Amino acid sequence: MTGKSAKMKNVKGRFRVNQNENRKKEISYEIRQNNMEEMPMGKKVVEIENLVKRYRELIALDHLNLAVEEGEIFGLLGPNGSGKTTAINCILALLYFDKGSVKVFGQEIQPDSYEIKKQIGVVLQNVAVFEELTVQENIDYFCGLYIQDKKTRKQYVEEAIIFSGLEDFRKFYPKKLSGGLLRRLNIACGIAHKPRLIIMDEPTVAVDPQSRNRILEGIQKLNREGATIIYTSHYMEEVEQICSRIAILDKGRCVATGTRDELKSMIRMGEKIHMEVLELQPFQIEEIKELRHVYQVEYQDGMLEIRCSGGKHNLVHILDYFGSRNIGFGRVYSELPTLNDVFLEITGKELRDAAETA
Amino acid sequence: MFFRLYKYSLLRSSRDRLTIFWNLIFPVMLGSLFQLAFGNYTEKEVLFHQIPVACVEEEGADENFSELLKVLETDNELIQVQKTDKKKAEQLLRDEKVEGIFLNRGEAGQEDRGISLIVTEEGMNQTILSSILEQYERTCATLTAIGREYPAGIQEAAALLKEDCRYLKEGNVGKASANSVLDYFYSLLAMNCLMGATTGLVCAVEFKANLSVLAARRMVAGCSRFRMLWPDLAAKITVQFVYITFSMGYLMFVLKVPLGEQWGFLLLTEFVGSVLGIFIGFFIGVAGRMQYSMKEALCILIMMVSSFFSGLMTDGIQRVIERYVPFFARINPASLIAGAFNSLNIYDTYGRYLESVGTMAVMILVLAAGSFMLAGRERYAGI
Repeated sequence: MTGKSAKMKNVKGRFRVNQNENRKKEISYEIRQNNMEEMPMGKKVVEIENLVKRYRELIALDHLNLAVEEGEIFGLLGPNGSGKTTAINCILALLYFDKGSVKVFGQEIQPDSYEIKKQIGVVLQNVAVFEELTVQENIDYFCGLYIQDKKTRKQYVEEAIIFSGLEDFRKFYPKKLSGGLLRRLNIACGIAHKPRLIIMDEPTVAVDPQSRNRILEGIQKLNREGATIIYTSHYMEEVEQICSRIAILDKGRCVATGTRDELKSMIRMGEKIHMEVLELQPFQIEEIKELRHVYQVEYQDGMLEIRCSGGKHNLVHILDYFGSRNIGFGRVYSELPTLNDVFLEITGKELRDAAETA
Repeated sequence: MFFRLYKYSLLRSSRDRLTIFWNLIFPVMLGSLFQLAFGNYTEKEVLFHQIPVACVEEEGADENFSELLKVLETDNELIQVQKTDKKKAEQLLRDEKVEGIFLNRGEAGQEDRGISLIVTEEGMNQTILSSILEQYERTCATLTAIGREYPAGIQEAAALLKEDCRYLKEGNVGKASANSVLDYFYSLLAMNCLMGATTGLVCAVEFKANLSVLAARRMVAGCSRFRMLWPDLAAKITVQFVYITFSMGYLMFVLKVPLGEQWGFLLLTEFVGSVLGIFIGFFIGVAGRMQYSMKEALCILIMMVSSFFSGLMTDGIQRVIERYVPFFARINPASLIAGAFNSLNIYDTYGRYLESVGTMAVMILVLAAGSFMLAGRERYAGI
């Protein structure tokens, strides 16, 4: 935060940060949002520069550079062991790092940067709740670490319970909840105090599809209401679905950053066509390779896979070829490139293969 | 924030069934078992039943011995004599209605006749009967020898033998006499205090981010983690103190164990003991990166070894330690706690008591300082 007093701007009623530069800052939570022009670093909520973190010989973060802008859902995608959680822990000032800097809201974050931490909500990968407290008590406990006013806290806790869909479970103890509900409780505890920045580290691990969809919808809702979200996952489908900008991590490095479309446009592949073909001769495969925009052809076990770079009517050209040669085929479908394809092209391995290897 | 977090910590403790069992119910059960085992420890003398014995007097029987048996029966109530014939006496012995048969056939010391004891088994009663006969024979032999060697002194000798010489006299250094049975109860209370080590351990694990995910989550909250620690510690100490007070109350008012009447000092001792137990566990928790199960085992080991050497399981072990390893007796937490309770009951002054409590206070300060030095680090190499 700057030395100047921050101008307050009423937005649709989400957060307010009061500043008093003459004495030690106290933060109370109401519903406004800081004027962005006052932030000296522009719209960047989190900035990581040249971050290096080693665990003895293992380099967990290798000159990592990232910037998260206000109002976006920023995805950190990568296989297990790529450094996502380590990066998160460095942002939260939980870990020492060997080199580089981490800034949150324009300031270097330290373990005692309580003013900054009060604006951060955390949903860790492992569920962190008290087994001896009920759902409502847990949310109240964690909200109370940020919100001192009893009335405000009560309201926030109620809203968090409704947001997470835990109204029917408020008196339940965590061990009585299913995996999905437990994850929702974990999220509720992390966001109850309505933080400006929410960091979610693989919040849908081991969660049933219904709960997962609910969680993803909730995250998008939080973002619509003004929160900046850092979302880490090794599930590319989730990241593709909700993230406005994505960074792909591999072995502690950021190998690519951009929106979904920007990332996909980085790679050569524009479209992948699958065809069931009973019999295909080698010369025919070569001829297919010569077709416009086709750069890779694989035929195995009766399945033909054709990768095309760009082009709009690749499927038409391929079907024309098959028709002209009288080659019979079965099912045909086309798919656009996925983040897995991006990862594959950049690193030479698939996200899932890398996850299994890790 | 303090009272709100204190309230939640109390709530958590009240719902932790495992801790309630081990720190509250188990000591109460153990105290009850001690009571059953030791029974009437308040009585100075052990209840003694008269030993039934048959006496067969044949022709020429020693009348002095008969007189002795009469005195032992009526005045001392040591034995219960049945005078009968030999056949009936043997039947009584076979039927276990008497513990032995005195066969009085003549004066003591005679080879063929004299007095003999017939028993069928060995035991305390038989030993007592045998002692009676041996002492009588010795006395007779002594008097006979004096009569033979120095007849003029026979009266004086007889008078001296009548006197009951005691070279040791029991006295109290304070209000009450030492009671080794009460030591078991004091050691039990000491063990109860040290059981707080496991709850102190939990406190530590929930404080250090590299020990539990809950601690990591609390560490990234918007307030100092010490503001979360103080209410936790205060609640754990409160709960442990309540448990021990309940145990003590149960011992004193239900089992009627006379632990003492100085309530203020008793409560102070158990409070200091509770704090000591909690901080032992907290220190173990923040020291090193052993797994939780290993740390828990270490807490239990310290608690049991300390309690053993304070006399929980074996009477007299404290005296052995005091004799051979006195330094250990000065620093053994359970010995200090039990010693503090004991000294309140035994001594008129508070020197020993203050020494024990003072040592415990110093240990608490050392453990607390060490814990906060180890736990003060706020960033970790790895989580």
